[in-house]
Amino acid sequence: MDDVELKRELERAHADCFGWAMACCRRDRDDAEEVLQTVYLTVLDGRARYNGRSSFRTWLFGVIRLTAASERRKAWLRGLLLERESGKRDGGGGKREAGILAPDSFPAPDAEVELESRRQSLGHSLAQLAARQREVLQLVFYHDLTVDEAATVMRISVGSARTHYARGKARLATLLGNSREL
Amino acid sequence: MTMDDNELRRQFTELREADKDRAPAFAQIYGRARTRASLRRTPRVRPLVLAAAAVVVIAALSLAYGRSSTPSTTTPAIATWRAPTDVLLQTPGSELLGVMPALSKSILDEMIPTPSNKGT
Repeated sequence: MDDVELKRELERAHADCFGWAMACCRRDRDDAEEVLQTVYLTVLDGRARYNGRSSFRTWLFGVIRLTAASERRKAWLRGLLLERESGKRDGGGGKREAGILAPDSFPAPDAEVELESRRQSLGHSLAQLAARQREVLQLVFYHDLTVDEAATVMRISVGSARTHYARGKARLATLLGNSREL
Repeated sequence: MTMDDNELRRQFTELREADKDRAPAFAQIYGRARTRASLRRTPRVRPLVLAAAAVVVIAALSLAYGRSSTPSTTTPAIATWRAPTDVLLQTPGSELLGVMPALSKSILDEMIPTPSNKGT
């Protein structure tokens, strides 16, 4: 695949990739942008090569997932070093803890408020799931991948992916039902 | 209360639509990645430049060493060469040792002037 074709494919998948990067970065927009940028760099550098064994989007999602995991590890190490240096532990979880979208600064109409509330509720419920359950549900329901394709992205067996999918779906339904009842 | 697949899908679709609206432009992210890629390429050139410079320096040094080690054409032959410290071997009175002494004469005659010597 030459540079022009690669750029076209990346552009076509961009919005989808951003959504997946958001999911991999616990819905932190800045982190998602950083991860996406690193992924494009990795692809441009040729350190990640598409070999045609799966669809381009599935392959790219796999690269995003690995990059996000790597960035998370780096951030964790940086945090550890900073913590050690300052000698005191940061009490608050900060912006990462809940994984909820930041509310808009201006008042929205009622429908928008309700929509935003639903999105927040979904984000909050997803944050409570195990990582693999969250990933497989995101890939299937958000990105319309099959469970088999999700397994390829997550580098797990189809059987495992199906288990995570079934358990995750049941738990998410319960969580969303509970949040609605509240 | 349970939730069916369609309801879940609907909620995820809402989330996707919201993300789509908030997604940064492709050109922006791609442009930044390109800039980073070009910055990364620069250090790869540096080792090459350094290696080339090292090769040039080594070649120059070996050339200079080679020239200094070749024998000069002006070097004197060992038969005609005289050590600079030879002058120290010339002691006072050493000319007396260079002539054969005669039995009828005293060596002092050579050294101390006599009236017969003066006349000559």
